[in-house]
Amino acid sequence: MQNFLNQLLNAAKEAGIEAAEAYIVEKDSFSVITNCGELIDYQSNMTRGLGFRGLVNGRMGYASTEAFDDESVTQLIKGVLESAQLCEDTDTEFLHKGDDQVPELNLYNPELDEVSAADKLAMVYKLDEACRAEDPRVKNGYNVVETSKAKVRIVNSYGMDRSFTENIAVLQAEVNSEENGFVSSSGHLVYDRDINAIDVNALAREAVKRSIDGLHASSIPSGKYRTVIHHDAMVSLLGVFSSIFSAESAQKGMSLLKGKLGETIAAPCVTITDDPLLPGGPNSRPFDAEGVASKAHVVVDGGVFRTFLHNMKTACKDGVETTGNAGKSGYSSSVNVKPSNFFFAKGEKSFDELLAEVGDGLVITSVSGLHAGANPVSGDFSLLSKGYTVKGGKREKSVEQITVAGNFYELLKNIRCFADDLTFPGSAMGSPSVDVGELSVSGS
Amino acid sequence: MLNQATAQVVLEAALSTGGDFAEIFMEDRRNNALVLQDNRLETVNSGRIHGAGIRVYSKLTAYYAYTNDTTRDGLIRCALEAASAVKAGDERTQCAQLVARDVRNAHYVAMMPSQTDTKLKADILRAANNSARAVSDEISQVICSYRDSEQDVVIANSEGLFVTDTRVYSRMACQAIAASGSENQSGFEGPGAMRGFEHFLSTVNPEVTGRQAASTAVKMLHAPVCPAGTMPVVIGDGFGGVIFHEACGHSLEATSVALGMSEFCGKLGQQVAASCVTAIDDGTMPGEWGSENVDDEGTPTGRLVLIENGILKNYMVDRLNGRRMGMAPTGSARRESYQFAPTSRMRNTFIAGGSDDTAEMISTMGDGLYAAKMGGGSVNPATGEFNFAVNEGYLVKDGKITTPVRGASLIGKGNEILMQIDRVGRTMSMAQGMCGSMSGSVPTNVGQPFIRVKSIIVGGRA
Repeated sequence: MQNFLNQLLNAAKEAGIEAAEAYIVEKDSFSVITNCGELIDYQSNMTRGLGFRGLVNGRMGYASTEAFDDESVTQLIKGVLESAQLCEDTDTEFLHKGDDQVPELNLYNPELDEVSAADKLAMVYKLDEACRAEDPRVKNGYNVVETSKAKVRIVNSYGMDRSFTENIAVLQAEVNSEENGFVSSSGHLVYDRDINAIDVNALAREAVKRSIDGLHASSIPSGKYRTVIHHDAMVSLLGVFSSIFSAESAQKGMSLLKGKLGETIAAPCVTITDDPLLPGGPNSRPFDAEGVASKAHVVVDGGVFRTFLHNMKTACKDGVETTGNAGKSGYSSSVNVKPSNFFFAKGEKSFDELLAEVGDGLVITSVSGLHAGANPVSGDFSLLSKGYTVKGGKREKSVEQITVAGNFYELLKNIRCFADDLTFPGSAMGSPSVDVGELSVSGS
Repeated sequence: MLNQATAQVVLEAALSTGGDFAEIFMEDRRNNALVLQDNRLETVNSGRIHGAGIRVYSKLTAYYAYTNDTTRDGLIRCALEAASAVKAGDERTQCAQLVARDVRNAHYVAMMPSQTDTKLKADILRAANNSARAVSDEISQVICSYRDSEQDVVIANSEGLFVTDTRVYSRMACQAIAASGSENQSGFEGPGAMRGFEHFLSTVNPEVTGRQAASTAVKMLHAPVCPAGTMPVVIGDGFGGVIFHEACGHSLEATSVALGMSEFCGKLGQQVAASCVTAIDDGTMPGEWGSENVDDEGTPTGRLVLIENGILKNYMVDRLNGRRMGMAPTGSARRESYQFAPTSRMRNTFIAGGSDDTAEMISTMGDGLYAAKMGGGSVNPATGEFNFAVNEGYLVKDGKITTPVRGASLIGKGNEILMQIDRVGRTMSMAQGMCGSMSGSVPTNVGQPFIRVKSIIVGGRA
């Protein structure tokens, strides 16, 4: 790889590329899946990918490869030259000189790499067994143990050479339960850098509980309901709508927050933070996709909109400093803007106290079809949802086959209260459960 | 790419620990992507996907490993990695002598993407952008994108199969945004084909693509929010076929059926849909987005009747799940890339043309919703619960189309909704999408004529 890199950066210089950068991801991953005690999938993989970009006459060109032969050097240089030549983007582009101080983060546990395939197999069978032992109504499902190790390295012709390695273990149980012909499907996921710290029985219990809770659920009449969105469902919503906080979206007219800096855009109890340094955060990282050192930022402070998320290009355009939120959707993509660990601050009430306050209403525990039913451009959402009704502050009956509809911009303003159960259920998004006031429900 | 001799050695290594079947899938793919936004070409990105996936079966378990080290040593290492997990007795399966098999190419390409000037690709995006912006002053942003890829594959297995194929895909997309100051709405069109660049010169008019996306956005900007409730719905042709894709198609994939995780398990020969419904999954249609010559296990693709006059006739079956179900593969095994083990997936999947009149189905529906353009959706095959978005909808009052409405979605359970279809129009058309599942994101066509569903939950605002 080092030879290939040297060859590539030299060829770039010879080809007249003023500044060039390679973004390399090397990943090892392992996963096993069982269903009803039977191993149905076993994977062990190793991949490397290199994204290459370079400045030619002030324009940035991009190309990428997974093959590291001479043909690829030629292809990458030709690709970057053509790309830069055709691009009409007039915004100033940068490569980072690497003159800032990168924080030390603990993202890698060498012991995890030593856990054998046999031990991981034993773990997935244990999870499978635990789910089926938990309740006789458990019919089948997917039980997953997955480990991965990734090294990200950014090297450029200014002499910047930064890298970090992270690893993680993920255990997941998706449980289908059945009673009198009624099937309910739900699950749970946990992750840790120390696989032995994961309580397999607790995971099985929670996954089975969620599945059993959905048995004999039914629809409810259409109408307006006082609604609490459970943290699992709230992070799904935040995941889709986080792009409204991106300076890139705003500059392109895709976010209605454009021009709203310093204004109140949410209820006073709403504080949203982007923190790439968060200990144990699923998306913690010492630097962003441009190599810029990570820092935490309060994006919404007590309802007031404080900053967009920026990379170097969007920051330059707005005349501000980058927030270190350059992102990539994989090694091959161009640089965009992405949140790191992005979350709503927690409140003081417990979840039960939140329900007591609501009295009668609805709790939404999961939402589906976000890629279609939620539109970050308009803020509108209309989503297939599951949950349960609440009567007198207590759980009443399970609900399915409803949609919950609203608008995210309005929802931010209508939030009444956050619980104290802030969770990052696996993605970069975090949220406590939240009382969002009234939402429209469509059902029977 | 991989030659026969190397493939033979690699497959032998894959069987060395007692596996009873081994397969190698190697690909070298060239991708190009362009994005035009803010009236200017913002991104031109080219890439090369390169790697191999090796799978070993031991009875009903598959062991998979992939790598992008495709040297002979790298591939043998990868094969041994997959084989190392196999727990078998002393019996050894021998790898048959590989015999190269010719693949007849049914999908003619006139202009290979790699031989087509990138400037021409940029031109169609400009054409779509300009025509979208000309629709209305309210169009505030237009994002046009173009992608093509040439995927060379070699597929070989221990039964002696050795095939090579090239798949060429081209697609453009236009997202238009209409803004009124305080509100945004968007419209989308995304035509594509298993063809070269000629598709955008001969079949698709990029200006029309841009205009249609913009027209949806502008209509929706002025539309009130769709009301909530259960009502009859007429769903338009083309992308409307996403209802069958989500409500039923995924649940007929062996991926779910073989593991007992589909509501259609054990229902072959039974009535699962109204008798006016016949549904087909066809991978052979020349040049269509979901077509292939051979599937990703090297099995020739085919045409499969899924449902005939309401009766369930076939599942879509891949090799491994075929073993589990005691059924022959149907050429339905697909994967996004070498980074995914293949499984059964849809290709071009549609409700076939019926005998009903479109005007009649609206005029006799009473009060309800006409879903002219659908968005994407999703389903849980275990329960059949599906959802999808309506991108352009209209209220129907007393059999007459009245106002446009926005923000609607449709939900239900697959087996219930198929029985609720009471009209199927005459002319089927298809539209393109990317379908995501266990083996990644693959190109699929959805399709149908106009259909009517007697009663379905419409998600809107009360």
